[in-house]
Amino acid sequence: MSKDLLAPFSNAASQTFKLMLDLDVTTDMVETSESLHDNKEKIGIVIEITGDLAGEVMYSFPKDTTLEMVKIMSGMEFSEIDEFVKSALGEIANIISGNAMTGLSQNQLSCDIRPPQIVESREGANTEGCSIQRAKVKTAIGDVELNLRTGS
Amino acid sequence: MIWKEKYKIGVPEIDGQHEELFARVTTFVQTLRSDKPWEDKVAKVNETLEFMKDYVVTHFQDEEAYQAEIGYPYLEKHREVHNNMVAYVAAVSEEYEKEGYKEELMQQFGGRLLAWLINHVVAEDQKIAEYARSKEVTQ
Repeated sequence: MSKDLLAPFSNAASQTFKLMLDLDVTTDMVETSESLHDNKEKIGIVIEITGDLAGEVMYSFPKDTTLEMVKIMSGMEFSEIDEFVKSALGEIANIISGNAMTGLSQNQLSCDIRPPQIVESREGANTEGCSIQRAKVKTAIGDVELNLRTGS
Repeated sequence: MIWKEKYKIGVPEIDGQHEELFARVTTFVQTLRSDKPWEDKVAKVNETLEFMKDYVVTHFQDEEAYQAEIGYPYLEKHREVHNNMVAYVAAVSEEYEKEGYKEELMQQFGGRLLAWLINHVVAEDQKIAEYARSKEVTQ
């Protein structure tokens, strides 16, 4: 059951990266206890989910991956995570999540999403009583982490 | 932004408009991202923004008319996506004028517009092409 809830998000990420960025993707499901932390600078996008599956999904993009994604889309070089880049990234997370809602509806789950929020750090986030599922979406320009947190 | 042949849906009028939109958004983003001070580029940014506000509406109407013509079953859903984008552009434009043409809002707008347009053309609009092909109504 738990893997089934995350699959619509990883499938949507795979489909979106392929269509928008011409990137092939493989996905690894990650055990909750396994650490995903490394030393790379990352940008987190959190999208709240409402409805049958109340919770949130967080996408964690390495800085280098983010800059390369915006370069692929625009054909221009980007060197810093600024308002333009954060907004483009937020829209990509929004698109993935919107497509994931369609996947969830095929599992008879009716959900909606709120606008994306950029987060600098999730340390100290209260996860007590929550179920967390994680996946790593691997691409040629870096790995994107997906964290799905749902109410207990 | 690089226009690709695979983005075409097979309807010359719509494909031409998509290509024009890509060209205009590219100009907009290039202006927005240039190293010049904001004061030196704000006039060009405003000019492109004004053009896009009108052009997007015209394009969406033409695209919806084509969908109606071929009996595209997801026209209403597609129209809703268009309407949401038009409302977003209008809201941003109003806030931008109200706050005195500040750069930060336009940078945010540019980033979202870039990602939205690419996804809309490569994902959403391609579904129209697939339907048209399945019905053999493509010109």
